[in-house]
Amino acid sequence: MTVTSAFKYTHTVGCYALSGFGFTNPVDVAVGGDGILYVVSRGNLDFEGNRSTKRITVCNVAGEFLGEFSTGGSEDGKIMWPASIAIDGGGNLYVSDEALCRITVFSKDREFLAAWGTRGSGDGEFVHPAGIAFDNDGNLLVADGLNSRIQKWTTDGKFLGSWGSKGAADGEFNMPWGISVDGEGNVYVADWRNDRVQKLDGEGRHLATFGSSGHGDGEFHRPAGVAVDRDGNVYVADWGNERVQVLGPDGTFIAKLRGESGYSKWAAEWFLANEDILEQRDNADLEPPVEVTPWGEFVRDESANVESRLWGPTAVKVDPAGRVFIVDSLRHRLQVYERQGG
Amino acid sequence: MASTDIALMAHLMRRAGFGATRDELESYVETGYEAVVDRLLHPEKAPRAIDDDDILRRYHIGMNSFFSPAPTQAHWIYRMVHTRRPLEEKISLFWHGVFATGFTKLSQPRVIANQIDMFRYHGLGSFHTMLVELSKDPAMIFWLDNKDNHKDGCNENYGRELLELFAMGVGNYTEQDVYEASRAFTGWSILNPSLHTARAEQMNVEPYGRQDYQFEYVAEAHDDSEKTFLGHTGQFDGDDIIDIICRQEATARFLSRHLYNFFVADEPQVPAWNTVPPRDPEAVKTLMDTYFEHGYDIRSMLRVIFNSDFFKEAAFQKVKSPAEIVAGAARLSGGFRFPEVDDELLGIQPGIMGQSLGDPPSVEGWHTGVEWVTTGSLVERVNFAAAQFGDTDKPGVRYMVDRIRSQGDRVSPEVLVDSCLDLMGPLHVSEGTRHELLAYAGRGGDVRFGTPEEDRAAAGRIKETLQLIVATREYQLG
Repeated sequence: MTVTSAFKYTHTVGCYALSGFGFTNPVDVAVGGDGILYVVSRGNLDFEGNRSTKRITVCNVAGEFLGEFSTGGSEDGKIMWPASIAIDGGGNLYVSDEALCRITVFSKDREFLAAWGTRGSGDGEFVHPAGIAFDNDGNLLVADGLNSRIQKWTTDGKFLGSWGSKGAADGEFNMPWGISVDGEGNVYVADWRNDRVQKLDGEGRHLATFGSSGHGDGEFHRPAGVAVDRDGNVYVADWGNERVQVLGPDGTFIAKLRGESGYSKWAAEWFLANEDILEQRDNADLEPPVEVTPWGEFVRDESANVESRLWGPTAVKVDPAGRVFIVDSLRHRLQVYERQGG
Repeated sequence: MASTDIALMAHLMRRAGFGATRDELESYVETGYEAVVDRLLHPEKAPRAIDDDDILRRYHIGMNSFFSPAPTQAHWIYRMVHTRRPLEEKISLFWHGVFATGFTKLSQPRVIANQIDMFRYHGLGSFHTMLVELSKDPAMIFWLDNKDNHKDGCNENYGRELLELFAMGVGNYTEQDVYEASRAFTGWSILNPSLHTARAEQMNVEPYGRQDYQFEYVAEAHDDSEKTFLGHTGQFDGDDIIDIICRQEATARFLSRHLYNFFVADEPQVPAWNTVPPRDPEAVKTLMDTYFEHGYDIRSMLRVIFNSDFFKEAAFQKVKSPAEIVAGAARLSGGFRFPEVDDELLGIQPGIMGQSLGDPPSVEGWHTGVEWVTTGSLVERVNFAAAQFGDTDKPGVRYMVDRIRSQGDRVSPEVLVDSCLDLMGPLHVSEGTRHELLAYAGRGGDVRFGTPEEDRAAAGRIKETLQLIVATREYQLG
C-alpha cells in the first residue's frame, strides 16, 4: 500500500463563521450513526461578552446545516473551553470542558440534561479534562489532562475509577488529550506531552506504545487526537507536526496526511456574495513555497501560509464507512478523507 | 550581601528585563554584575525562553493562530513574565517602539508576531542586518505601503520613515534623498499583494482564516537606474542605501539616543531631538563611538551602557512603560498560573494603560517617559499592580509574607514598611512617602504571626502595604 493511494481527500465541511454556517476554531467532532456531525467550536475569544462563538454546530457529511446549540459561559448547558464530544447509545451528547472541569450532557434534542465533575485531583474530580470516548460497556472514559490519568464514568455521572498517573513509563501519562476505543474494547490514548500513543486494555493495563518524539514517519510531536478503524488501524492527529498519521494495528507507519483542502459548500456560498475576493484568490499564488526562517517552526509556518494544509489538527475520527474526519482547528473546517480499497 | 549590590542588580534587571524576584537577584549578585550583563547580552546561549509554548497553544487556541489581538498580546506578556532570556524580550519591545508596526491596518496579528520573532532573533546583532531584515519584513512592507513602490510609481512612505523615524532623524537628509532611497526599495514587496490588500481592507477572514505574508522581490518593479543618495551615486538598491545609512554619524547619534532613552533615562520625544540636545551628550558620544568601533553592533552598545556609571546612576530615572508595569508586577507577584480563561485579560492591560502591544498609535510609535502617565492611565497602572499584589495566594506575594515572617513572630510597623519596600525593589522612597506609609502601617500596631488568625491578619497587612507601595511615585518609575 503506498502512501498516496491509501487515503483520498474527498471534501471539506465548514468554513469560518461566528455563528450559523460555519465554525470558529473547531476542536472536535462526533460522528453520529446517521451521518450527522456535531462540531464543537472552542471560539476565538474568552472575554465575557465575546464568548458567543463557542458552540456546537450540527450538520451532515454533505455539509447541510442542521442547527447549533450551547454557547460560551459557565452556567448549566454552557461551555467555556470545550475540548471533546461523544455520543452514547441513546444519542445523548457529552461534552468535556477544560476550563469548567466538567462533563456536560445534552439530550439528542440538544437540551441540557446534566453536568458532573468539579475541579480537583480526587476521585471524580478533573483538572482540564480533554478527550472523551465511550467504552464497549457504555461507560464514558475521560482523559483527565492535568491530572494525567484516565477516568471511567457511567452515563448518569457515577465515578467508577481511574488509571494512570503522571510520568513517562508504560501506563503513565503526561497531559493526555485524545482517547478512543476499538471494537475489542482496547483503549488508545494520545499521550500528548509524551509524544506517543498508548494502547491499553479495557481495565487500563498497558498493551503497546506507538511512536516517539520526532518529525519522521511514525514519530509524533504532541499528538492530540486518536481514532481506530474497524481493522484496527490507528489514526493520530499529530498536532505539533501539523498532520495526521495512520498506523497499522501493530503501529507500523502506513500514511501521513498533510491536508489538501479545497472549498466547502459553505465556503462556495460565501464566495457567491464575495466574488471580488474569489477573483483575487484566483489570481494569487495560494500554494507558495515557504521560506525557512532561523526563528520559526517550518511546518507551522507552512500551515500559516498555505491554506490547503492542516493547521492545528486537534482530532481525527473514522466512521464505519471508512471516512476519516480531520478537525482542522485553525482553519475552521473538517477535511474529509476516504480510505481506499476497503 | 550588600543591599547596594541588590539594588544595582534590581536596576539592571528592570532595564534589561522586566524585573526579577529576590531569589533571582541574590543569585545574580553571587554571579557578579559584569558576568550577568554578559549573560543577558547572549540570550542565544541561554536555555530556550519558555518551555511551555506548546501548553499555551493547546489551551489558548488564539495563541496558536494569533488570530485576534488579545491572545497575541497575552502571549507576548506571558513571555515577558516567564522568559529565561529577558533581554531578548526587552530589546524586541525596544524595536517594536522604534519600528512601530500595527495590526489595525494589516488586520493581521500573526504577521506582527512574526515581526517580533524577527526582532528577538536579530535584535542584539548588527543594526545593518536589522535594517535589511526590517526592509524585507512583510508586516512593515504592508504597513508602509512598500508593496506599492514601483519603478513607474514611487511610493515614498517606507523610504521616508526609514530615514526620519527608523535610522537618522529629521534634518539629516533632503527630500531628494527620500526620493532616491525610495526608488532603491522599489520591488521590495510581498507575495500576493492585491489579495492581501483586499482582505485587509475588508477585514476578511473567510473562508479559512488568514495567510501569512511573505517577502517577495519583484525584479520588474525595481528601478535599477542611477541614484544619488547622501552624496553617493550609483545604481543603488535597498541594501546599498542601508550601507550608506549605517555609515552616517546621524545614524549613530539617532540610534545611541534611542538606546539611551529606552535603557538609561527618559529623553524628550523623538521629534524634539533635532532641537533639544541629549540629556547626557557624553554618554551618547560614547555610544556613537562604540557603534562605529564594533561594526554597528547593538550588543556592544548595550554592553557599554549596562557597565557604565551613567547607567548605574540612573535608577528610577524612567517612567515604566505599561508593558513594564504589567509584566513586572505579574513577574514579581509570581507570574501566571497554568493557562486559564482569564489570561487574555492580561494581554489587553498595557493597552488600557496606553500601550496596546502590536497596535501602536502611528508609525511614530508611543510617546514615552512622562507621557505614559495621565490621570486615567495612572489609576489603571496602580489598580492593576494592586490587584496583582493583593492576591496572597500568588507565589511571589506568599514569598514576601514568608520573608517578613522570618524576621520574627512580631514585626513592627517600621520593619513592615521597610521590608515591603525592600522586597518590592528595593525602592528608595522619599521621607514624605515613607512617613505616610508608616502612618498607615502604624494604625494596626505590630504585625503578629502565630495562630492561623494572626497569620491571616498578618498576610492581609502585608498585602495592604504592598498595595500602597504600588501607588508610590517610586514604584511607577523604573
